[in-house]
Amino acid sequence: MPKSIRQRIAEEMTGAALPFLAFCIALNLTAGQITAALKIPLYLDSIGTILVAVLVGPWSAVICGSTANLLAAAFGNPTMIFFIPVVVVIGAFSGFLAKKGWFRKWYLVVIGGILQGVLAACISAPISAYVFGGVMMAGTDFLVLYFRSVGNTLLNSVFYQGLASDPADKLVSFLIVFFLTKNLPQRLLSRLRGAANVG
Amino acid sequence: MPVRAYLDLPSKLALVFLLWVCAFTLSWTFQVSLCLLLVIARFAIPAFRPLSPRSATAFSKFIVYSISVALLVVCLNALFIKTGGTIATVLGFSFYEDGLLFGLKTASRLILLSFSVLMFFISTPLPVLIGYLQEKGLPPSLVLVLLLTLHFLDQLPRRIHQIFLAQQARGAPVDAGVISRTKALLSILSPLVLASIVESIERGTALELRGFLSRPAADRIPAQIGKQDNLLGICFYFLSLAILLYSIYRWLIA
Repeated sequence: MPKSIRQRIAEEMTGAALPFLAFCIALNLTAGQITAALKIPLYLDSIGTILVAVLVGPWSAVICGSTANLLAAAFGNPTMIFFIPVVVVIGAFSGFLAKKGWFRKWYLVVIGGILQGVLAACISAPISAYVFGGVMMAGTDFLVLYFRSVGNTLLNSVFYQGLASDPADKLVSFLIVFFLTKNLPQRLLSRLRGAANVG
Repeated sequence: MPVRAYLDLPSKLALVFLLWVCAFTLSWTFQVSLCLLLVIARFAIPAFRPLSPRSATAFSKFIVYSISVALLVVCLNALFIKTGGTIATVLGFSFYEDGLLFGLKTASRLILLSFSVLMFFISTPLPVLIGYLQEKGLPPSLVLVLLLTLHFLDQLPRRIHQIFLAQQARGAPVDAGVISRTKALLSILSPLVLASIVESIERGTALELRGFLSRPAADRIPAQIGKQDNLLGICFYFLSLAILLYSIYRWLIA
């Protein structure tokens, strides 16, 4: 008999997974602080979600991403609440790739990161275009305007802007998670459910 | 009878829903008026007042930020979308009608959506929200995750700052080129993640030893919702439905 979603979530969220999930939500929310300190032009705001997807499981990653966006809205970035479908897909897709063993080889991680970026751009484009008219109160808005001014439709412009930034962001996030999990001691890894994903 | 510090949650959620419906159906002039009403409500109605000075500052900063972004959006769209008649020419730059209208529509919708979400969160205590969600069936494990996240959010910036300074002192390339700085990211994240896993294992063991995960759900506190609150929430939902139906009707006859 197939397990229900509730059962799958309950299976994933045991012992050390609960505090680790909380840490990763907080990491998603504070990643901007690290990139700002290092002056890196990337968001890396789904790094915690990908880490949970690999080390705990896809359902926990979905919860991690959704909760992080809800809390981001609560702490002064209200537009994040509308992008919950994007983080749900990021969590589920990363978890799927991790289960298929894509986080064991660097070249698979590179392909996975780029695919994830394209997927994120595809899902965020309609939200950004139809809910916010392509305006996200960020520097990337100039890129959307540029694409519009050269004759593209709003949806296409937002999609091209997403393609210009998301794959690079997700690729770096995937690579960071790959190197982080590779360097973790086996003694600690074995305490988390997804240890086999990075063997 | 004591003055209530906040509106009950279901009514507030219904109001947020109503504002979202307005953001997608009404014209930009209505949306701007609603935004102004929300700003007035933040000062005039106790139920919408920020709960802490930090929330008040966040809201004020967001107002200033969103107004500047809105002006920028309107100007840039009027400048770049070159359809419709020319409205004005300033220093050789022409502003177009269609772009201006699109900018006004987009900016007002964005601000109304943002204000409604922000207003909800700055005037609702997180423990009350968490309690409400628990009462609606949120599992205790998720409640624990939310509370632990708040703990980590308090701790992480300090930890990140300490690790950053330590790596800088060790000569990590935190000020070199972009590639080197991206590599330095790993030297900051590694100790952070390692420490968090160790802490998670310790906390997880403590939770298991206390039987948290095998314990039945704690007694739930019944929500204190009066008839008036229910009525208010229902009114908001009816109003949303009426606006939606009217918009569909207008769209059909157009």
